Order: sequence, then structure tokens, then C-alpha cells
Amino acid sequence: MAQRAIWLVSHEPGTPHGGTVRFSRRYPTVEKRAKTFNGSSYVPLPEDDPFCKALLFELRLLDDDKDFVESRDGCSRISKASVYGLPIGGKELWPVLALQKNGLIYVSVPLVEQTLSAHPPLISISGISQAFDLLFGLIDFFDSGPRTEADLSTKVSQLPDLLLHICPFGTLLDSNFLLDNFSNLSIYQAPKQPAWKAGTYKGKPQVAVSITEKVKSMQYDKREVADMWQVYGTITCKCDLEGVMPNVTISLNLPTNGSPLQDILVHPCVTSLDSAVLTSSSVDIMDDSAFSGPYKFPFTPPLESFHLCYYTSQVPVPPILGFYQLKEEDSQLKITVHLKLHESVKNCFEYCEAHIPFYNRGPITHLEYKVSFGQVEVLREKSLLIWIIGQKFPKSLEINLSGTVNFNTMGHQKQPVDTICIGGTTYVKLYFRIPDYTLTGCYADQHSVQVFASGKPKITT
Amino acid sequence: MGPRSADAWARVLAALRASPAAFVARAGAEALAAELLSELRSERLSEPTKVSLLAAILEFPTQLWPDPTAAEAAVSALLDTLALLPPRPAALRRPLLLAATSVLASCGALAPASAATSRLLCVLLRAAAGRAAGPEQRAVRATACECLRELESCHPGLLAGQLGLLRALQDTLGTQAHCLLFVLTLRDALGALARAGPGAPAGLHGLLAARTDSPRGGETQACDRSPDSPGAQWPGPWDWSLAGEDVRDPAAPVGREGGRPEPSAGPLDLTPPEARELRAAVSQLLDASYLLTPPAQAQMLQQLSQVLRTVRGQPPALLKPQLVRLLGTARVSLLHAVLASKDAFGEALFTAQDEALLLRRLVGAAQHPALPSPARLFCLHCLLHFPENWPLGPAGEEGTPVLLTPSLATGLLPSLLQDPPDLLARLHLLCLLCGEELGADGRRDCQGTEDQVLLYLQGLLASLRQGAAQPGAPRSSVTLCFRASYLATRCLASHPGALAQLTKGLAELYQARPCLAPHFVDLLEQAGEVLAEPLGKALQQVAVAGAGGAQALQWHLQILTKVAGGQPLGPTLGFLWAALGQGGDWAWEQALLGACRALLRGTDLSGAGPRNLANLLQELARGLDDPDSRDRGRLYYSLFTHLSGSKLGSALGPTRSTPMLGSSLVEENEGFASALTVQEAQAPLQLRRVPQQAKEPPVILGLTVEASEILYSLELRFRVLGPHYEPLEAVQVPCLRPGASPKLLLLPLEPRRPYPTLLDVSVLYATPGGLTCYAQLPSLPIAFADLFLPLPPPSPEVTHPPTFQELWASCLPGGAESCMWGPWQGQALETLVTKHWEPFVMSATPPTSYRVAIRLPPSSQLLLQLEAAGEDGVRVALRTDDWAILPLAGEYLRGLGATL
Repeated sequence: MAQRAIWLVSHEPGTPHGGTVRFSRRYPTVEKRAKTFNGSSYVPLPEDDPFCKALLFELRLLDDDKDFVESRDGCSRISKASVYGLPIGGKELWPVLALQKNGLIYVSVPLVEQTLSAHPPLISISGISQAFDLLFGLIDFFDSGPRTEADLSTKVSQLPDLLLHICPFGTLLDSNFLLDNFSNLSIYQAPKQPAWKAGTYKGKPQVAVSITEKVKSMQYDKREVADMWQVYGTITCKCDLEGVMPNVTISLNLPTNGSPLQDILVHPCVTSLDSAVLTSSSVDIMDDSAFSGPYKFPFTPPLESFHLCYYTSQVPVPPILGFYQLKEEDSQLKITVHLKLHESVKNCFEYCEAHIPFYNRGPITHLEYKVSFGQVEVLREKSLLIWIIGQKFPKSLEINLSGTVNFNTMGHQKQPVDTICIGGTTYVKLYFRIPDYTLTGCYADQHSVQVFASGKPKITT
Repeated sequence: MGPRSADAWARVLAALRASPAAFVARAGAEALAAELLSELRSERLSEPTKVSLLAAILEFPTQLWPDPTAAEAAVSALLDTLALLPPRPAALRRPLLLAATSVLASCGALAPASAATSRLLCVLLRAAAGRAAGPEQRAVRATACECLRELESCHPGLLAGQLGLLRALQDTLGTQAHCLLFVLTLRDALGALARAGPGAPAGLHGLLAARTDSPRGGETQACDRSPDSPGAQWPGPWDWSLAGEDVRDPAAPVGREGGRPEPSAGPLDLTPPEARELRAAVSQLLDASYLLTPPAQAQMLQQLSQVLRTVRGQPPALLKPQLVRLLGTARVSLLHAVLASKDAFGEALFTAQDEALLLRRLVGAAQHPALPSPARLFCLHCLLHFPENWPLGPAGEEGTPVLLTPSLATGLLPSLLQDPPDLLARLHLLCLLCGEELGADGRRDCQGTEDQVLLYLQGLLASLRQGAAQPGAPRSSVTLCFRASYLATRCLASHPGALAQLTKGLAELYQARPCLAPHFVDLLEQAGEVLAEPLGKALQQVAVAGAGGAQALQWHLQILTKVAGGQPLGPTLGFLWAALGQGGDWAWEQALLGACRALLRGTDLSGAGPRNLANLLQELARGLDDPDSRDRGRLYYSLFTHLSGSKLGSALGPTRSTPMLGSSLVEENEGFASALTVQEAQAPLQLRRVPQQAKEPPVILGLTVEASEILYSLELRFRVLGPHYEPLEAVQVPCLRPGASPKLLLLPLEPRRPYPTLLDVSVLYATPGGLTCYAQLPSLPIAFADLFLPLPPPSPEVTHPPTFQELWASCLPGGAESCMWGPWQGQALETLVTKHWEPFVMSATPPTSYRVAIRLPPSSQLLLQLEAAGEDGVRVALRTDDWAILPLAGEYLRGLGATL
């Protein structure tokens, strides 16, 4: 399991080449193995320029999609899990794993230890998941900190050195690129210390645990389509504890009527998992017998802040219930929106906004509206209404907006176009955040953190 | 050439990186390699610069040392440099070890007879066994282990003789690097033992015990010494007996990956004490695996399962405690490793309950909103290739595992709001589930859910079609719709109702947007008979009805060329007659003939059809504008009236591989068939660029064309790649003869943006022998400098044409400016200006200062101020009113710098 090459390409729409290779690294020893393993189906790695061109073309990032091109648009050429085949000099370079994030394209080509005359299933390529790890690590590295051009250049200039340590021969040794300095590099561990823990902490012991939950909900108000809502959460920890391998156990608790946590995925530093935690899954039919905690996570913390676990949950009702009606009359649209906050939800928002976009209609020319609460902002050019609800719903917990909107259907060019929201198909999107509250009721407190290390740590949750 | 400065090296390395092959060809591999090696010892260069030189050696050894002997010498030189390093911590030590390893392994110099090999192995082993504490020593130790691991990967079995030493190191030091090295060596050693069979020189015990004493006893001082102690030699000769030829014997049967040490001789038999020793070593490694980083854990787990598979009678239960821990993690690589061990051991490691749990975890991960989308997609892919204990379907094909029921997969339903890759992957899963359920006879009890699922699928496909039917819908949403239809077709073959609805929907889509014809042709080719037949019929009906008016004609012809052969003749003929009335260019005539050819090859030649077809062909032979098209029409007519259906089919068939009738007539017809089709040929002509300087737009590209044999009726077609230019007209040349003076062609280029590009050139011509040939010529680059024009002359009304200063000031703030340094000394600047910028100079004080104004069509300008700064070079200030061309200008100027 190894990588043949790594590229970092920035996508620059509107420039002559459409993008540039910011960084590339090839591994000649792995290439030599690829030649032997792939035999006659071996395709050599291209140079940066042709590679960049082929990649941008395949990902449809050049403005050049006027014509049908079989190698890109053919109906049977379906890329799997972001793995592409790039036509290079009459042959196809495969598998090319390419992930896009914030205008950068992260690419790796894993070694396949067999012939490539027919594409083997990805699951049988041992280097493929390593390529995922590597690219996710790189994404974390480039996503941290300010995302300015200067910051990007600095990070790109650090990459050769970083890879010399973390991936010197194409075999990944660690996927954590966020390091303070190389001498402290975790993979050069002292004996009997975890390789993922760089050094030891000296200072005041401290454990911080935070729970973030997000809710995703789609309400259709239609009999044939079921409404959907899903809550998922992340537990983030930062443990500053002395000693080589301090043990910590965090238990998450639910109130008596709380919704059980499911699909729990943990950080690799968790040492063992209860079978009830492992088997609690969203594919099961919910009943009262479901395991409802406490969820115990024993682990040895790494030095940095990390995500201890992710979970999902099925809360019985969505936190805010919505109703949206849109009627087309002559040249204008009549809209009505009702929102209702569920009484069990804490009515104290950091912010709460409803976005009402209009697609394929041109800019808004005129708007008349009435709201029972909050105020409305109009972004005419973007054909978007923003209903700012603020920090609190009123006592009744119900609010309404109604109004009529007119559009300039001629000025269509620069307006948002969408192939789904055609005619009466449209939506309202709610953005909100409630601090110090979880929908599942899940919590961790002073008593739920046990530390087996010297000193009494300060615990914040 | 004098020694280069750090900046000069940075430039050289950047050029090498951009295009290694071209750069090495220009600079000469040998000279560059020698210079790199000698500069490593130079005292002028700083350490970071030397590290960057080593990085280049690490990355491009095969270009620098194409032959093994030179590579071997280079490794020795690198090791000499290492020996010369002072004993204090040095940033060069690690990169030197890495570079030497990379050169040795990738240039084919790793061999028993090579002195450099044994020297490097010795240095690496000593470094890996070092005991000194301290961050730098730790780093060097880990690096040495990595180097050894890479050599072992490239040459499995190389370190088998050192297994005992490596185990001892792993015991005492226990770092990740030592663990990984030991596991890999152990795996390869067992593989080699299994291959060698009973004739192996030493058993596993022998290997594990060997050498354990020597480093402990005599090694104490050696280990504390710096790893690069000069002249060190490993005690005793290196044992190559278990080292394989290369990565793997290429002649050996290629098994599935993951089962790599699958020896032809079968699993290895160990004596009970040896087996015990192996088990102890493996469980010790597994216990410590928690201390490794996740990617390293995944590697170790995979390799340990390979170890256990190599040996007969080793229960994989040792792995079990680790699997429970790994199953819960969110890491793709760890999940993958668990699946790989499941694939390797099946029921021996995973009971039916374990399998169900693993599957549910996988379903959960595939829909987990907290995971990034590519990771979810990978999990979904793993579901479709889930290594079942008792698989029902054929191995290697996608299918849903038996345990994955529709109710389990409800969370994985596709929806329009997902990204295209998510949508397609989930749709694929849904289709597989649908197809399976519908295909199974005994499961009629859950009819309700099936119908629901099918309805859902149909609704989704209909919405996708609706999206694609929007006028101006992007090609991505069109492609999405066709891919979804393709997937659905493959799985719904057994469900005629759903298929009929799909066909109807697609025909409506074609009616709404005939310009999607190429997608339809592609779908017809890929989807197979099940869809091709009904869809072909439906499309033919839409096409002959003439939806979309005259603009859609070319698309209809494209569709008819594909489908008309299998459909009734009458309607198509009616349509073609109507189309003939409209008239068109050469391409249109060819499309019309293409459709006729499809009819000739078709099956429906009964009733009044044939006579009408003959009439049409006659009309084509008479009425088309282009003589070539008329000829083709006439030929079709004669073939049609003289040959029977089956012969006609093979004469007009697309390839020679169509079954031939064993008759003399057919053989004679072969000549006809080749005369009918346009032949692909090697171009017997050459295009050359001739410099042309236009004074005003359009930019003129001058070309001369010369032929090496007589050619008639040439049509040269030009296509500018990319969207930045207006299309170019084809150029007709009546005749070319060898030896005649070259024909000059002037192509007017009309850029939409002043960007460099490639000009794709093809030519169609007739040979004296009567064949029509088509040839692709090498693409011609259009450089940035090709677009340069002088500024337009001032119009008569303007009394004061703008001065350079006014132009210079007018560029900002809308444009951009930059400044660079050009390495032109002495007279070089003057030569440069005369050579490249003569027509554009606005004012000058030769030989030191020049002001150059260049117009770039359609509407940009580039201004340069060049000032010679003494003997050092030239300061170039540039401004443009178009920020997007600044990088091109920079690249262009640097290119001029490099040519000196």
C-alpha cells in the first residue's frame, strides 16, 4: 500500500489554463513497483501540465463543456468514490483519487498491486484508503487557519518538508499534518509512547469537552413524501494531562426521555467500546428497549484537540415546523410562510434566519410583505429574501410572513439558475443556532469525566 | 558553467520539476547529476538549499541516472557525503539517507554484486540500531527504518537474514518505525520460505534467532557511534538467499491483492515450537498496535493477516480483540483493514452475527452525516463489494449482500438534493436492490414495498429528465440524467413496465432537446439490447416527426444513422426526402449519406421501401453540391441495386471483423468497401510556421504546406482547443505536388481572450489512386507572443496620440502591474529588443532603456519598461489593463530569460 504521486491543484476559474499545479510529489520507488505489478497495463505518470489539464477537464472545471466528449460524458463512465480515470497520451491513468475543497483539488494516485487491464474493485486496492487518509489529512492542514493566498503559499512551501517526514517513500506514516515543529514529530516517538502523541504535556491539568449537535430536516408537507429530520452530533475534547499515557473515561448521559444516540463512530484513541454502543444503529426500528446510555468512552488522549466521537439520533419531532406556500398570479408570486417552534426546544437563539430563494426568475423588482415578527432583508440581485427572526420566538411560538414578489424576467443572465427548482418547486431554508442546548438532551458534566492521572484536573464541559 | 547561486538552483529545480524529461534532455543528465552531487559538498550553499537539491534527487533519480552503473556510483557519492558530515546534528543526514535509498531502489542498482548496496544496507542497519537518545537521533533512526522498509518493499526477502536483529530492535525500542519494518520483513520472509519449500536454507526459528547476539555483543560502541561512521562494513557477507528477483516474479500468477504471499507451493508448514514463536511475535505486535498512528495500524493489520494466511493451521482468532476496537472508529483506512481481514479469513474470523454487525456499521457509516462525502461514498462502494462469508453472486461483480434488505437500506435512498456522485452511487444501490427483489420469484409477499421502491425510482428518473430538459441546462445535469438512466436500465431488465416508462420519458426528453443526440447515441451503445430496441424505435419516431425545426436536423440525422437500420423504412425515407429539400454544407451532406448507409445496412427491405430508397440514392447522386458526396451517393446506388441484402451489409459494415461470406463476390467487394469509407492515413504533408507580422487585427498565423506525394482536393480543417477563440474556417487547396514551392496559408485568428492555445489540424484529401483519406497532423502551438500587435495608429481626429506615460498611467487601477528582473547583460538587451519587440517600441534610449507597447487582441494591452541596470541585468516593469494576462506575460518573459 503506497502512493505513486500526490498533487495539489488550485482551480482558478477565468484564467487561461483554468488552474495551476501548486505542488506535486512523485515517488520513483513506488513507480518502479507499479511498472512491475501493472505489467503491460502500466500507464506512466504524466508531467504536471498535461496532468492538470486532464484533471480539470475530467472534473468539468474548464469552461469547455459545449461538446459531448465520450471520455468525460459517456453514460457508463461513472466515477466511484471520487476516483477518476484520466485520459493521458491515449491511455487511461487510473485510479486517480481527487477531492475538491475550497478551490483546491487534492489528488493522489495509489499503487495497484495487480494488472489494470480491467479495473479491479476499489475495495481490493490496499492503497486506496491510505490515499483517503492522506488527502483528508492534507485538507485539514490547508483548511486550518486563515484561508488567504499568503497562508496558502506558506503552507505549500512547508509541504515538501512535511512529506519528507510523514510520507517519505509514498507510504503514509501519519495523517496528522498539523504539527508545531518537526523535532517534536510524533512518528519519532520515544519508546513505549503512542506514535500519535508528540511528547508529553507539562502544566496545569485540564480537560475540556464540548458537544455540538446539528439538525438536518426536510419537510415536504405532502402525503406521499415523508418528512425527514436527523440530528447528528460531535464531541470535541482537549485534554491537557501530564504523564505518558493518562487514561480518561468520558460518559455521555441522556435525560430519561432523551433520544438514544446511534451510529456512533469514535476516534482511534478510544481503547474499547461497549457492545451496546457498537450495535446501536439508526437502521433499527426504534423502541423503548433501545440502549440509552450512559455511553462510556475510555481513551488515552492525544495532545491536540480531537473529535472523540460522532453520533446521530432520531428525535421525535423537528425543532421548528414550517409551512411554505407559493402561488403564481399573473406576473407575481404570492408567498406565505409559517414557522412554529416546538415547545420542548429552548427558545433562546444566537441567531435564527429563514432564507427564501427564487430561482430561474430574474432579479426581484418589487416586494410587498407583512411579518408577524422579525424583519425582512431583500437581496434583489441574488433573488433572495432573508427573514431575520432574531434571538427569540414570540410567546405563541408561531410566526408568519406573507407577501407578493415581482421579478424582472428579462434580466435572467446572472441570476441563480437551478435545474430542480423549476416552476412551483422551491424551498425555504432555516439557519439557526441555540447555544448551551442539545436536542437529544445529551450532556457531559463534571461527574461524567474520570481521569486516571496525577493531579486533579479542571474540567470544562 | 560556474557554480550556481541558491537562487539559480531554485530556478533550475523549478524547471526540472515542471518538465523533467525536457529539462534533462536540454541540460544533459550526466552533467546535471554530477553538478548536483558535487554541490552537496560545497560550502557556499546553505543547508536548506542542499536539502532542496536532495529532494530533487529523491524525486527524479531515474531521469538523472538512467543506467544502473551510474546510479551505483551516485549512491556511493551520497554515502561519501554522509561520511563527511560533522558529528553534530545536521539537517542533511536524513535527506541523504532517503536520497541514497531512492536512487538505489528505483534505478535498478539494488543487487548482490553491488558494493554500494551492501554499504548502504550497512549504514542503514547501524543507524536503525542506534541507541542514542535525543530528537535528531530518534529521527535518523526512524528514517533508517523507513529506508530499509522501502528497500525490502522493492526487493522482498532482502532483509530476511536480519529478521532476528529486527525483532530484537522492535522488542527493545518498540517504536512505530521498528514495528512496521519487522512486520514487513516477517511477512516477506515467510513468503520466501513458503516459496523455497523444504529446500530453504534456514527455518523460521533459524531466522528469528540469527544475529540476535551480534548487535548486542560487539555492537555497543558501533551503535553509539554516529550512523555514518566511515568505512563501516556489516560483519560477514550479506545473505541474499531468500531475496526474490524483484518486487515479485512477474511470471508468477497474479492473485488478488491482499493475498500477496500466495505461494504456488501452498501454505507453509511450521514445527510446533516455531508456530508458537510466531504466534507470540504476532500477538505482541497486535497488543502494541494501539500505539501506532491509524495509517500504520491499518498497514500492520493487513500485513499480519497476510502472515497468518501464509502459514498452515494458524487460527486468525489472534486478530479478534483488535477488530472490535477498530470497528468503532471513523477512519476509512481502519474500516478498510477490517474488511480486508474479513475477506482473507471469512467465517474463521467473523461469525454470521459478526458479519451482520459489520454490515450494519458499514450502512451506518455510508449514511453518516458527520463523515465527509468521499468517505461515505467509499463505504457505499464497500457495501456493494462486501466480502460475504457465503457469497451467492459471482465474485468480483457488484451486488448487494444477502443481509442487506431494503428496509436496512432505507437511509440510503437517493434524492435529488444530493451531489451527483452521491446520487448515482445510491441510485445504483437502489437499482441493484430493485432488480434483485423483482427477479426473485418466491418473495411476492413484500409486493407492496417493491412497488413503492419502483415508483420512487421512476419518480426520481423523471425529475432528472425534467432537469436535463430545461433549455440551457448544464451538461453536468444532462450527463447525470443519462448515467442514472443507464444504471436503471441495467438493473430493470426484468421489469417491462418500468422500462417502457423510461423509454417514453427519454423520447420526450429528446423531443424537448434534440441537441442531446450524442448522449442518446452513447446510451444506445452502452445500455444493450433491452433498452436499445424500444428506445431506438421511439427516437426514430421523434426524429422523423422533425421536432425542433431546421436547427435540429443535424441531430436527427445523427440519431437516424444510429437507429434507422432496425426500423421501418418508410417514415425515415419520407424524412430524408424532406431534409434533402433544405440543402446544406458538406458535413450536412455526409450526415445525410450516413443515414442512407444505415438504411442500406438495415433489415427492412420489403414492399415499396427499396424502390423509394433507390430513388433517394439516385437523387443524392445527382443533386448534392459536393462532387465527393455525389460520388458516394452514386456508389451507394450501384451497390444497392446490384448486391443482395447480406452482401450489402458486409460490404458496408463498419469493420472487417464482421463475418464474411466465403464467396468470390465478397472478396471482390472488399475493394469497394475500402473505396467507400474515408481512410485514416499518416499525413503525407508537412505544415511549417512562417513568421507573419500583422499591423492590425486579426492576428495572422502564417503556415506553409508541403506534400511528399501528389494530393488532390485537400481540405485542411483547423480547430482551436479551448473556448477562447472564434472557430476557424477550413481551407481548400486544389492540388499539391512534391517539389513544387510550398503553398502559403494565412489563417486569421480571432481570440476572445488573448490566451495561448493549441491548434488541432486535420486534413481530408484524395489520392491519385482514388481513395479519400483523412489524416491528423501534429497540433500547432499558438504562443502568447504570436498574438502581439502594435498599438493601432491614432485616428486622424486625435491631435495628440497618447504618450507612453499616458498609456502607462491608464492601466491602473483596472489592470495589474508587476516587476521582474531579466538576466540580460551587455548587448543582450539590444539584441532582444531588435529580435522580439522591434515593431512595438514606442520610445527608446539605446542601448539601456526601452519602452514597449503591445496590443493583444481583442482588447488588452501590455506595456513594458526595460531599463538596463549596470552589468547585473535588466529591470523590467510591466503593466497591463487586463489582470488575467499578467501570469502569461511573466511566463513569456521568463521564457526569454531561459533561452539565453
